Amino acid sequence: MEFLLEQLANWKFYLIGAYPKGQLTGLTLNIVLAVLSIIIGLFFGILFGLGRTSCRRYLRHPCGLYVDVIRSTPLLLIIFWFYFFLPVVGAKMPLFWCAVISLSVYASAYQAEIVRAGILAVPMGQMEAALSTGMTRYQAVKLIILPQAFKKMLPSFVSFFNSLFKSTSIVYIVGIIDLTRTGVIISQRQPNRIYAAYFCMALGFWISCYMLSLASQILEKKLGILDYESYKPEICREDLVLLPLPKTVKRFLITQK
Amino acid sequence: MPFREPYLGWLITGVKLTFLIAAVTSILSLIVGTILAIMRSSRFKFLNIPAKVYVEIVRNIPGLFWLLFFYFVFPQILPFGLTDTLNRYTYYSVIAGILGLTVDNSAYVSDIVRTGLLSVPRGHIEAAVSTGLNRFQQIRYVILPVAFRTILPPLGTRMIHNFKNSSLCMAIAAPELTWATQQVESITFRGLEVTFLATVFYIGISLTLAVIMIRLERWLKIDVTSITQMRT
Repeated sequence: MEFLLEQLANWKFYLIGAYPKGQLTGLTLNIVLAVLSIIIGLFFGILFGLGRTSCRRYLRHPCGLYVDVIRSTPLLLIIFWFYFFLPVVGAKMPLFWCAVISLSVYASAYQAEIVRAGILAVPMGQMEAALSTGMTRYQAVKLIILPQAFKKMLPSFVSFFNSLFKSTSIVYIVGIIDLTRTGVIISQRQPNRIYAAYFCMALGFWISCYMLSLASQILEKKLGILDYESYKPEICREDLVLLPLPKTVKRFLITQK
Repeated sequence: MPFREPYLGWLITGVKLTFLIAAVTSILSLIVGTILAIMRSSRFKFLNIPAKVYVEIVRNIPGLFWLLFFYFVFPQILPFGLTDTLNRYTYYSVIAGILGLTVDNSAYVSDIVRTGLLSVPRGHIEAAVSTGLNRFQQIRYVILPVAFRTILPPLGTRMIHNFKNSSLCMAIAAPELTWATQQVESITFRGLEVTFLATVFYIGISLTLAVIMIRLERWLKIDVTSITQMRT
């Protein structure tokens, strides 16, 4: 018990590390990573989500392919891609920005799914009404469809942010000193305090994620539920058209009852 | 020549272990998750509250933490003799990976199953009671078959997610595919090629699983029209 109090006494190490003098580490790094990548991912997610619902085939299919490929690759491998690929292309980047880029690529695919679900949840008549009042398609999407869709997407955005925040702990593997790495370092330096170190690590994640899940519950109660995970299986039937398969196989897969 | 003898062998062992970890964790977490969901929807507090606490704790802590926990901390909780035998066992990391992933996944599965249980119409349960089934029989023969059919899509998504999460076992040096690719990279410096192979493998298997889930859904669907036609 006194070990635990001792660990809690150096809370600064878990939260910000040696920030003002040295590197930013600990829980704050996780939060910074998650916030940066969700903002960048939101921008691209809206683009890809709009592309997926577009009626133009040359927009819809590449966006669908991107989303499916990213969604079926583990986050760890996406991080490795940027970790190995950026030096090959010639862009030398600090590890932190590597992590931000790969996390935002990951987030953009999932958020494109959320945006698509939100747009499809807006009734078809809204678009028709907007077009019949003389708006252009761009105006209709910007002024009519997206505001309504955002209201429906907000709870799933928050719950996705929760899962993204938990996913940021994966950067532990490429050697960024986030909260997980901090806890492991402390537990390795002082093996007799291993329980306390792991407990503090779990506590940091638990408190921040619990706050987020409470927020998403409140939002869900206020705005109604749209679960981005249950909305669509990993790949839907019309996406199968994209796969490079022979036509007979496709027909076998896509047969309607 | 990036893939001379030992490297391809490592990759194949990695693929085997990935499949093993994914399959075992999926099955275990399905069992644990279903039990947790039934406990959570029970009216007895001594069943209800522990399951709720478990789910609340596990859902709000990243999966990587559980893997590290079962690899580094869990052997120290056990009595010393058991720890010794465990550490002498070469593949303890695989066992730790399976335990950690199961703990992480079972909370999510229990959440999904619980929504399925809640979606079973009240009339079905009343009908089951009135035909004289006891509580266990009601769950086994009436509630679960209906519930599992409704939750099949999100459950499939979760299992695919679990399959992808099995790559995290690399953090505790379980020799599965991602770990093998890193091993090859560290010796031959051909990270790109090996990572490409691993990515293609993961994408292929995820898409295949997705297609299987779609087929399974259609196969398991209860054809309501044929039942009503039979009655008339």
